[in-house]
Amino acid sequence: MYGGGNTFEGIKNDGLAEEDPGKLAAFEARIARGEKIEPSDWMPQLYRKQLIRMIEQHAHSEIIGALPEGTWITRAPGFKRKLALMAKVQDEVGHAQLLYSAAETLGKTREEMIHDLITGKSKYSNIFNYPAFTWADACFISWLVDAGAIVNQLANAKGSYGPYCRALERICAEESFHLKYGHHCVIFLAAGTAQQRAMFQEAINRWWAPMMHFFGPSDKISAHTQTLMKWKVKMSTNDDTRNQFLDMYVPKIWELGFTVPDPALKKNTDTGKWSYTEPDWEEFKRVINGDGPCNKERLEVRRVAEERGRWVREALRSEKMAYVEPLA
Amino acid sequence: MKSLDPRVERLPEIGIPEQPQSKPPLDQFGTFEVFVQPKEGKPFQHEGAVHAPNLEMAYVLAKETFTRRFVCTSLFVVLTQHVAVSPFADQGEHVFTLLNKASAGGTQESYEIFALAKRGKQHTHVGKVQATSAQAAMAQAESLFAAGAVVINLWAARTRDIRFTSTEEKDFWTTLPEKKFRDASDYKGGDKLKEFLERTT
Repeated sequence: MYGGGNTFEGIKNDGLAEEDPGKLAAFEARIARGEKIEPSDWMPQLYRKQLIRMIEQHAHSEIIGALPEGTWITRAPGFKRKLALMAKVQDEVGHAQLLYSAAETLGKTREEMIHDLITGKSKYSNIFNYPAFTWADACFISWLVDAGAIVNQLANAKGSYGPYCRALERICAEESFHLKYGHHCVIFLAAGTAQQRAMFQEAINRWWAPMMHFFGPSDKISAHTQTLMKWKVKMSTNDDTRNQFLDMYVPKIWELGFTVPDPALKKNTDTGKWSYTEPDWEEFKRVINGDGPCNKERLEVRRVAEERGRWVREALRSEKMAYVEPLA
Repeated sequence: MKSLDPRVERLPEIGIPEQPQSKPPLDQFGTFEVFVQPKEGKPFQHEGAVHAPNLEMAYVLAKETFTRRFVCTSLFVVLTQHVAVSPFADQGEHVFTLLNKASAGGTQESYEIFALAKRGKQHTHVGKVQATSAQAAMAQAESLFAAGAVVINLWAARTRDIRFTSTEEKDFWTTLPEKKFRDASDYKGGDKLKEFLERTT
């Protein structure tokens, strides 16, 4: 699971003027033909940089995303739900492993990425800076946050970088269990007692704004965005993925008799576009820059894990082994 | 630390309040490539990499990372430096024309050959050849392919450098079919949903 283009930051100098025009043209022609780029191919610096940033943030989001749900493993209702949630959380951490490897093929070591996560330099999906108060919050994450992630990931799986696409294909195959499991949990709450229904309604009310933030603010259509779309790094605009999510899941939420806390939310049947109240983007900026309810806790938990594992890594370390980039 | 999670509340203070320490570059493990055989009789295919302090640990991590969920009957794991890589053939080009066919003297050894048919796909195992070096092994591998087969990239690894799955280890994966709770197909909410909708509308 992860949030899409929201963490793209502006780039002052795209460096394109310094690239070899012949190589750049061959690179762009390859992408235009629908061929994938592989790690040993020539690529522009901007392409490499943006992909590292994107795949790395995706990997961190998998690790940090496991935390709010992991909290609920011991308190999940019943043995079967515990087993399933444990398997799901294990999947998320496994996804991070696949993604870190894909990012490594571009030249950033895993060590550097983990370093940038625990020192707060790298970002991860903003939605995980919010707390999961009740079981219903965990169900909201399993069903709807994963649904949002799948919309993003299916789009990115059609991107141009081979190792990232291969990792995403595996990830998407596993996510189908997460989504069905999440929906199953929510159906049971919806069909349950008045108290269970109220619990899920409260979860929707709490998570709706972060869910809308999840896809990122409207893209400014800059030359930069257009270049990344031409290179199939960014596969669709933030507004388009948000619209696709609303289109697929709002009817399912309504079907269960729940409401969405936005009176302006409705679909224009002529254009197929959803209109909604813009979420508070000031809050989004504040939280992503560190001032959210759980930012400190999420990083602290990761740092403690890093610290507690140190003796194991030291014990296993072998002078004879050298790190190299993975092949593909 | 104040948290909704009692386990987080119990975490020790580790003393990195404001400016966290840099992660010292001490624990970069080696890199290993992992190949998975999804079904008996199917070729092994490259799935990705793991980092580990030795081949045996790499094998254990490969099992966790790549065969936790998908069916698997066998694994190959090999140190990344032990894999020789050919140049990439461009569209319409044949990879064997890019290889040096001159064979040096020396002892013949067994090499496993992996081929890529299309960009974006995975390298798959095609067979083994006897050769005096990895470069020579790749050049000789042409005989493993049918005439006209598209191959754009080759990998070669010495057979003795690969950690194979032994026959006794194969029951690693026999519990997979029982773990239905990890399958989307185990979550049929349709009846419950239908009953709910009939009750409420």
